Amino acid sequence: MDSEIATMRLGLKRRFVAFVSAIIITFGVVQTVLSVRAQNGLLRHELEDRGKLLTTVIAANATGGLAATDVRELRNLLSEARGQENVLDAVAFDEDGRVLTDGTLSNPRRHMSISEVALRHASGSEALLVEFDSDSMTVTKPLRLGGRVLGGVRLRYSLASLAEEQASLARRAAMVGAIFALLGVLAAALLAEAVTRPLNEVIRGTRALSEGKPAPRLAVRTGDEVGELAEAFNEMTRKLRDTTVSRDYLDRVIETMGECLVVTDSDGTITRVNSAVCSLSGVGEDELLGQNCRDLFRAPQGHMSLLDALGPDGSAHGLETELLARGGEGVPVMISVGAMEENVGRARNYVVVAADIGERLRSEQQKDEFVTMIHHEVRAPLTAVRGAIGLLEGGVAGELGERGQELVKIALRNSERMGRLVNDILASRKLDSGRMEFRFEEVEMMPLIEQAIDSTSAYATAHKVRFELEEGVPRAMVRVDTDRMIQVLTNVLSNAVRFSADHDVVTVRASRYDQMLRVAVSDAGPGIPDDFRDHVFEAFAQGEHKDWRHRSGTGLGMSISKGIVEELGGAISFETELGAGTTFLIDIPESV
Amino acid sequence: MASRFYLGFLLTIAVGCGQPSEPPPSGVATAPPIPAGVLTIGSVSLNPTQEYEVVRPFADFVAANLHHVGIGRGRVVVVGSLSQMVDELREGRVDLLIDSPFPAVFVWQRTGVEPILRRWKRGSDVYRSVIFTRADSGVESVDKLAGKIIAFGEPFSTSGFLMPKAALASAGLRLVNYEDPAASIPSDQVGYVFSNDAENSMFWVLKRKVVAGAINKDYFEALAGDRISELRILQTTEAVPRNVVCVRGGLDPRVVQAIENLLLEMHLSDEGRVSLEKFEETSRFDRFPGGADHDLGYILSLLPHVQEDLGQ
Repeated sequence: MDSEIATMRLGLKRRFVAFVSAIIITFGVVQTVLSVRAQNGLLRHELEDRGKLLTTVIAANATGGLAATDVRELRNLLSEARGQENVLDAVAFDEDGRVLTDGTLSNPRRHMSISEVALRHASGSEALLVEFDSDSMTVTKPLRLGGRVLGGVRLRYSLASLAEEQASLARRAAMVGAIFALLGVLAAALLAEAVTRPLNEVIRGTRALSEGKPAPRLAVRTGDEVGELAEAFNEMTRKLRDTTVSRDYLDRVIETMGECLVVTDSDGTITRVNSAVCSLSGVGEDELLGQNCRDLFRAPQGHMSLLDALGPDGSAHGLETELLARGGEGVPVMISVGAMEENVGRARNYVVVAADIGERLRSEQQKDEFVTMIHHEVRAPLTAVRGAIGLLEGGVAGELGERGQELVKIALRNSERMGRLVNDILASRKLDSGRMEFRFEEVEMMPLIEQAIDSTSAYATAHKVRFELEEGVPRAMVRVDTDRMIQVLTNVLSNAVRFSADHDVVTVRASRYDQMLRVAVSDAGPGIPDDFRDHVFEAFAQGEHKDWRHRSGTGLGMSISKGIVEELGGAISFETELGAGTTFLIDIPESV
Repeated sequence: MASRFYLGFLLTIAVGCGQPSEPPPSGVATAPPIPAGVLTIGSVSLNPTQEYEVVRPFADFVAANLHHVGIGRGRVVVVGSLSQMVDELREGRVDLLIDSPFPAVFVWQRTGVEPILRRWKRGSDVYRSVIFTRADSGVESVDKLAGKIIAFGEPFSTSGFLMPKAALASAGLRLVNYEDPAASIPSDQVGYVFSNDAENSMFWVLKRKVVAGAINKDYFEALAGDRISELRILQTTEAVPRNVVCVRGGLDPRVVQAIENLLLEMHLSDEGRVSLEKFEETSRFDRFPGGADHDLGYILSLLPHVQEDLGQ
């Protein structure tokens, strides 16, 4: 895999180098060719000009010799001319176009005629006549003196040196071009390295990420696209670190979970389980993988299978069923299912979390058994005890003395207190188990408050406390279970009475508050200590206060009140100040 | 050998050839000592330095081969005129003179020198002059050149000037020198100009710049080329030796004989041929076939017509 990436990287680099090199070399070749051609043209013109100039100079010097037909002078002149560079031949000719001398002693072309073209030209012009052949040029310079045609000078000038110079120039240009091309390729390689190095770093970083290793922070060297890529990569890894966890980390989390985790594909085939599943079922992971989840979970009641119990979005919460352990034993579990789509349009996977609820069910069962026991073994005898005490108080068993009557009252008061305790315990259990029944009806709120005050008045009078209903919300309606609502109000009122001193006033206010009807019950008691405020609504919670012991109730009243209020769609809270008193606030939705 | 006999000044260069002999250290065996004798070769030229360079190797060769007759080294003396050379010979300061036949005969007539050998140049032992005109010039014989102008070569040239001039003069024509080829020539004269080059003379005739010309016969056909038909030869002179070797009168006969023997055999050895070639393309030396008096008789007969030209 690494070698593949290396090959790809090499390929990109090679392509880059090849591309840039091709451009440089093509440009260099074109430039070199154009330059060589231009130089060749210049060289040729220069050489031609040299030949023409030399011919002109020789002709000028030959004028006297031609005019005097001094062949010796002309011979010496042309002999000297033949010694000049690139001069292949030189002749002086007379007005008839006959060669006088070619500059040699033997002068083999003596009397021979020059070409017709040259003669015709010399007869009518003084201008240079230039004739080219493959590797030389012949320049004819006609000469006149006072309008008389004297003849002229013909010089054959070699252009072979031009070819040599051109070849030399081409070689030099090619060499320079090759050096520049080499430098260009080198520069391209360096450039490619500079470009691909950050890309390679990105590739290495990406690979590290894909392998779950810590991704290195890339150096942002430039402000161009490559630098932007490195910056984006760093940003991506930073966000990945912030938003994702590694697979190892997830594995550890999953394995640490106390709940059972089962992942299935869309058909319910198990693809992943954690060790909690194995522990609870007694079946190994290898055996579980590939099974269908219906073999692991019993179908929830009323459904064909677990997947059948899922909602349209593939999820379900709080399903109670059984996990089938080895040997067919069912372990009660509460299941939550979530659907997981790795990619849009692909089949869902399901994530099943199952919590063992066997312990809770057993606890619930014990509570139910306790409540049943209380109901049958305590409440019924207590009713009989109260009845018997009532008869004693009524004198059925004869007149009681003063002392006897006091004892009977004590017994009656405690039996009533025990009765309230039993009732509260039963009510609390019903709330916990969701078995408390509510009969909702639209009623006016104020009569309920007044009825509760009336019910508690005797208790208040006994504690030398009185109620004051300071304000109300006439005709305000609520949808509540009347008995339960009165039970709450009575609890709160009697609680206020218990914590009031003699002759204190418990104030009751009813008002509208944030689309709710608020009933505020305030006492001028000692207030709730800081350390107890969080436990006010817990069952059997009783604060440690020197004055509280004799004022405490069953310890369930506020807990029951909170449960009932919440079932009625409302809320209960309090405001307290040590030494100044406490106000309980009961908010109930107003029916509109 | 080119002679500049018309100059009036003396230009003499005497250059020693070889090294003077010194006595060898006693008790050491060495080569035989170089004789003390000196052989002086004279030459006439206006360019003494160049002439010395031409003659010196020949003088060295000759001297190196005459040790047996007491000649240890050679010397070259270049003078500017024939009259000076005459003086040098008379005073015994020049031993050997090699020159064209007219100068040689001129000197022969005035000093005690003895013509002993002929010198061949460029493969020929003799040469002639040819006097020619255009075929359409209307001149059919030399006597018709009166009132016309003729082109000669260089003033010191035997074949290009001295011999043809002397030949025309011996035919009774009066030759007068002109500078301008277009000059008007009186009918009792033959005007002549120096073209200074045989080729010039040929072209001047062909282009009617002059009526006639005179050149070495050896060059005539080559210079005329395919235009030879346009020309007419008016006279061809007799053959004369190309060059003559003269020795000073009074020179040791043994030395004279040794010189004769040496020169006659030079062309037979490689070393000798190389030396001859360097000495103005000399082919060989030989004796006068008909004897010096006979072979130089023609020159001798013409000499009076060009004595002034030679003595200048």
